[in-house]
Amino acid sequence: MAAPMPRTELGPAHWAPEARAAFLRRRRFRNRLLLAALCGFCLVIYAIVLVRLHEFGTMW
Amino acid sequence: MSGAALEAALGGTVADWLALLKPRVMTLVVFTGAIGLAIAPHHLNPVLAFIAILCIAVASGAAGAINMWYDRDIDAVMKRTANRPIPAGRISPEGALGYGIVLAVVAVLVMALATNLIAAAVLALSIAFYVFIYTMWLKRSTPQNIVIGGAAGAFPPVIGWAAATGSVGVLPLLLFAIVFFWTPPHFWALSLYASGDYARAGVPMLPVVKGARHTRICIMVYTLLLLPLSLVPYILGLMGPIYGVTALLTGAVFAYHSWRVLTDRQDAQGNSLTQNAPARAAFKYSILYLFILFGACVVDRFL
Repeated sequence: MAAPMPRTELGPAHWAPEARAAFLRRRRFRNRLLLAALCGFCLVIYAIVLVRLHEFGTMW
Repeated sequence: MSGAALEAALGGTVADWLALLKPRVMTLVVFTGAIGLAIAPHHLNPVLAFIAILCIAVASGAAGAINMWYDRDIDAVMKRTANRPIPAGRISPEGALGYGIVLAVVAVLVMALATNLIAAAVLALSIAFYVFIYTMWLKRSTPQNIVIGGAAGAFPPVIGWAAATGSVGVLPLLLFAIVFFWTPPHFWALSLYASGDYARAGVPMLPVVKGARHTRICIMVYTLLLLPLSLVPYILGLMGPIYGVTALLTGAVFAYHSWRVLTDRQDAQGNSLTQNAPARAAFKYSILYLFILFGACVVDRFL
C-alpha cells in the first residue's frame, strides 16, 4: 500500500517541500486518472446515443 | 499510465485493482454472456453488442470486488486467498467496496442505455444475487451454498440473450440451467482438495460438513443430471446435431472424470490417498467442458 499522507495540524502549504511535492504529485495523478475514466464513460454514452439514434431514430 | 504511477496514486498496483475484479471468473462470465448474445435470433449493432459484453464484464468484476470486501476476514485465513489485495493490506476495504459499488451502478445504467431495461434488470439481479444471496447469506450458512448460489454465475447467457432480443426465451433458460447444474460438481471438485482451507475459515463447504465421501457421490449425481439436461436444447430442436454430439461426448467425458473422483483410492472417511489427482483433473476438465459446450452452440448456430 502507498505510504500514508503526512498528518499534521497544518495544511499542505506548511509541509516539508518534499512531502508537499509528493502529495501534490499524487493528487494531480489521481485527478487525471479520474478525468480519463470520466472521459471514457462519456465516450461510451456518446457512442450509445449515436448508434441508437442512427438505428432506431430514438433513444428508447 | 505506468503501474508504479497508479500504485503511488491509489495504493495497490494495477494488478491488485484488476485482481479485485476476479478476472478468471470474469472470463467465463463474459464468454457465456457473449454466447447468449451471439445465438439470439435478433441482430444487435456491433458497437452496442460490444458495450453489452463490456457491461457484463464490469458487473461481474464489481460483484467480485464486493465479494472480496465482504469475505476479507475468511480470505485472510485461507492459504489460497490470503494474498488477495485486501487481506494482504495492499488495498483498503473501503476502497474496494466503493470501487465495486460504482462499477456495479455504472454497468447496470450503461446496459439500460445501450440495450434495454430487461437486460439491465437481469444484470442488476445477478449482481444482487451474488452479493446478497450467495456471499452474505448462503456461503457461510449452508453446505448447499454453491448449489443455490450457482444461479448467480448462470445469468450471463440470459443477459446476453435479453440484450439482443429484449426478452427471455427458452434457450437462454436452458443454458442457465446447464450452468446451474455444472456449478456444483465444478466447485465441489475444487473443494475436495481445498477443504482444509475452508474448514480453517469456517466456511461450510460440502466436504467440510458432510465429508469427502458424500461430496464424491454428489459430484457424480450432478454430473449425471447435467448430461441429459445438456441434451435438451437438441431434443427440443433449439440446437442442431453439432451441438447434440458435442454435448453427448463432452458430457460423457465429464461423467468419466466424476467416476474417477468417486472411485479414487481413499481412506475410510473418503479422503484421497492420491493427493486428489482425479478431483484436480475433474476441476480442470469442468472448465474446458463449459467452453466446448457453449462454443458448440455458436458453431451449431452459424454452420
